[in-house]
Amino acid sequence: MSALPVATGRQTWTGLRRAAAGHRPAVAAAVAWTLLASVGIVTLPLLLGRLVDAVRLDRSSSLPVLLPLIGVVGVLGALATALAQRATARLGTLIAADIREQALTGALGLEPALLESAGSGDITSRVTDDVENFVEAIPLIAQVSTALTTVLVAVTAVAGLDRRLAIAFVVVAPFYWFGLSRYLPRAGPLYAQERRTAAERGQVLLESLQGRPTVTAYGMAALQARRVEQASAHSLDVRERTIGVSLWLTKSMNAAEAAGLCSILLTGYWLVRGDLVTVGAVTAAALLFHRLFDPLGTLLSSFDHVQRAGAALARIIGVALVPTRTYPDRPAPRGAVSVRLRGVRHSYDGEHDVVDGVDLDIPAGASLAVVGTSGAGKSTLAAVLAGLFPATAGTVSLNDGVADIPVDGTAPARLRDWAAAVSQETHVFSGTLREDLLFAHPTANEAKLGDALEQVGAHTWVRGLPDGLDTLVGAGGHPLTAVQTQQLALARLVLLDPPLLVMDEATAEAGSAGARDLERAALTLLAGRTAVVVAHRLSQARVCDRIAVMEHGRIEELGTHEELLELEGRYARLWTSWSNS
Amino acid sequence: MRSERALLLGVARRRARPLALGCSASMVHQACEALVPLAIGLAVDHAVDGGGHGALIVAVSAVLALFVVLAACGGFQYWILSVTLQREAHELRVRAANRILADPAAGRGRTAGELMAVLTSDTAAVAAIIQAAALIGSGFTGLAVTVVVLVRIDLGLGLGLVLAVPLLMAGIDRIGPWLERKVAAQQQTGGLAAAFAAELVTALRPIRGFGGIGEAARRYRGVSRRSRDAALDAATASAVVAAAGLVATVLVVIATAAVAGQMALSGRITVGELITVVAMASFVADPVQRVASGVQKVAVSRAGAARVVPLLSASVITSGPRVTGWEAELHPGEMLGVVTTDPAVAQRVTDELAQLTSPQFLVEPAAAYLLGGTREAALDTGRDTAPEWTERALRTAAADTVETTALQGGGTNLSGGQRQRLALARALAADPAVLVLRDPLTAVDAVTEDTIARQLRLLRDQDRHTTVVVTTSPPLLMTCDRVVFVPSATRETVTGPHRVLMERPDYREAVLR
Repeated sequence: MSALPVATGRQTWTGLRRAAAGHRPAVAAAVAWTLLASVGIVTLPLLLGRLVDAVRLDRSSSLPVLLPLIGVVGVLGALATALAQRATARLGTLIAADIREQALTGALGLEPALLESAGSGDITSRVTDDVENFVEAIPLIAQVSTALTTVLVAVTAVAGLDRRLAIAFVVVAPFYWFGLSRYLPRAGPLYAQERRTAAERGQVLLESLQGRPTVTAYGMAALQARRVEQASAHSLDVRERTIGVSLWLTKSMNAAEAAGLCSILLTGYWLVRGDLVTVGAVTAAALLFHRLFDPLGTLLSSFDHVQRAGAALARIIGVALVPTRTYPDRPAPRGAVSVRLRGVRHSYDGEHDVVDGVDLDIPAGASLAVVGTSGAGKSTLAAVLAGLFPATAGTVSLNDGVADIPVDGTAPARLRDWAAAVSQETHVFSGTLREDLLFAHPTANEAKLGDALEQVGAHTWVRGLPDGLDTLVGAGGHPLTAVQTQQLALARLVLLDPPLLVMDEATAEAGSAGARDLERAALTLLAGRTAVVVAHRLSQARVCDRIAVMEHGRIEELGTHEELLELEGRYARLWTSWSNS
Repeated sequence: MRSERALLLGVARRRARPLALGCSASMVHQACEALVPLAIGLAVDHAVDGGGHGALIVAVSAVLALFVVLAACGGFQYWILSVTLQREAHELRVRAANRILADPAAGRGRTAGELMAVLTSDTAAVAAIIQAAALIGSGFTGLAVTVVVLVRIDLGLGLGLVLAVPLLMAGIDRIGPWLERKVAAQQQTGGLAAAFAAELVTALRPIRGFGGIGEAARRYRGVSRRSRDAALDAATASAVVAAAGLVATVLVVIATAAVAGQMALSGRITVGELITVVAMASFVADPVQRVASGVQKVAVSRAGAARVVPLLSASVITSGPRVTGWEAELHPGEMLGVVTTDPAVAQRVTDELAQLTSPQFLVEPAAAYLLGGTREAALDTGRDTAPEWTERALRTAAADTVETTALQGGGTNLSGGQRQRLALARALAADPAVLVLRDPLTAVDAVTEDTIARQLRLLRDQDRHTTVVVTTSPPLLMTCDRVVFVPSATRETVTGPHRVLMERPDYREAVLR
């Protein structure tokens, strides 16, 4: 169960209406052109019917009026149809852009706790797949709205010729109902299954491609190829079944067309015999009905696509439904910041405490290292401290000597003036290296950027890049090593220049040689700041003013390197196995 | 060029039977579609307009029969062509994937994302040649039926229509590339917006860390607006193309109606024929459109084939292994350490060892990547390892406590340490005679690192298997029989036990943490 809401039908409508309200001229244009287009589409066969009557009754005098009229109506109708298509697509595009921006802004501002429980997968799929599904459906929605209007106008027009000719539209109803009632209940789950199996296939394929070095190293090409084949065959199997299910729909559409056409011919026959309508009117009705094959087909076959777009929209609008939290005003820090933790706990599942009651004071300007075995709760403590997610119990407060602010009750934008963090996950944004750095400090000038790079020891390799700061990095750009990525993350912090620094670095992928470069870079950052460093390497811990040893979510030992060695406890043991050479 | 054509022809040959059946059905279907307006005209002429009951029954039965054939053929062609396309795409995909996995040279220089696109979209595009063939075939059939019907009514009218419509369509097609550019721009900016949104959500934690939420929203708005403007542009462009097509069709219908109306007045054709001519005139654009989109699809298939072919064709022979710079002899049952402070040297050493491909020789890639969705799948390397041995490997690598409900993206949903320990367990379970590991425990805490280093030695000693560790980790180096120290790419290597080498200051500097 995701913690993120999905909008109800009513909420989706409200969201759509609200978005449309911002684009009144576009709405008016779409409605007006669609109506005009439908009138044009329907009028043309009616006029052709008149032509047939004129020819039958040898009224050649009406031709000079009728033919130009047909011409004008035809051309105007065609233009109106195209303009209707454009107006509807534009309206959809404007609404989609508004809604996706709202959704992403909402997602970025989600409370950290909700974000954790919802999972980034759900949020990502809402702001990418669902948005794309909706945007792709816009031309279809435009077609459907034109088709629907056309059908309605056509029914009115045929009924205008003679009500009895409109029986054809009653005759087709049961066929369509039969087709849809068989199709819709099966299609929904089957399409969902199709998307799921296609996604699974994608995952196995991507894994095989990314894991090629592993496949080659283990000589397991045959095994992995079998896995690919299984996933692809599974997806093929479901795909074949979806092809079968849509057949029913098209067959019942054909049946409805045949029945409707025959009904017009039959009623037309009796009506003409009774001199109740003209042959021209019957012709017009038959031609009109024939012209409706396409819009009716569009309406029926797009039923589930429109439904799917609606479901996607409900999920997108759902993100913006999360109430945004308001924070009281907090001042900016006026000097060095001290940190106080009281009874801090954190639990991901509500049962098991990963951080289990931590009390801690870090004086302004001092550095603290947190060490311990994997899973001791070090990273969680660091994240709580930096306000990346809230403590389930207890308080974390920051003090600049003048004001005292709680981390959890401060707006993220303001909190970053007090504290910044490098988490284990680092990211190189796609774009130029400059844009990457400016993300943290959009107004920083060239000199500042150069200075930041130099402080973290990245200036030499940046200068060696093909285009320097303008080199494209990130996905598809110039590849950066793990060390370089970390250096960039540190350079962003230099630009930000916060009084409190929380560093939870993963130096795992960097290798031991690279790890030492990063340590040097980090060390320059610690100078003159309050800092908390989650140390995976004890050499990092040793340079900090004090060291806290965590075990099972608690701080078991706290003191300087020398004090802890004398204690001959956990830290001493860790140190021995670390430096046992 | 030739190989692309060969690939496409190969598809047609392999699928000759369903392709022939599908094309025939599609042609009959299209012919029936063309005959519907004729049926309306005939029915009005012979039955509605003063015909008897008998004529009416004949007319209605004829319409019904026409629709039965139309529906049967339509359904059959759709089913057989779609299923054949999907099966062919599946087979191509599996063949190409097999090739990529078995031959490291296949697709070299292309990223995983690019290859992924080839395996999913391009294979489908190649298989779509089946649909293209059916579209072209049925389009020509529809045209032929229209011509025959019209020429039988009036030669001039028929020929005029059949010549005018394709000319008009060709004219409209000329603005096609312009529309394609606009649509491509729309798709590209849309893709960028989606990719950026995904990137922002993925990087949300780091962004929050440096307070970039406001800037992220601002940047996304920029990307989203660019995508919106491109989409608005494309909407206008496709409306222009649609308008051209619609106006052309309407003009044809009106011109035909005018000419045929005069002919009917002068008695050259009947009222029913007038109706037929007018209906046919509005239908004729459909088969022309089919042919045009079939031709377009062929172009798409060719483009797809151009990207698939290199993955299926024979691989380029790469040069043999070049082991340079240093020499070391491996003894059975030995554990050899390699120490270097230069990451490039470490990379070269493992790369060169990795080229000595032999079933008994395994170089675990430095970046741990776990294949499969479960721990069992991740440990399975197709070696039929006994479950007890796998269990032992897991315990040795201290990976038996790693909780794995579902693995994703090569194990990126695990912590770095967990991923490393599982990858080590996999290598130990595979149990090669010679195992090469590079920085295997960098993300593991000191106590666990110490434990694993000792257990690793015990496990490898059991069958006197050889292990090479490229590392600067003292616990691992202490369990090594010999250590090769490569101070830098240019200097001489030194070999000796860890304890002895520790007396050298440069070695101490390299392994000191």
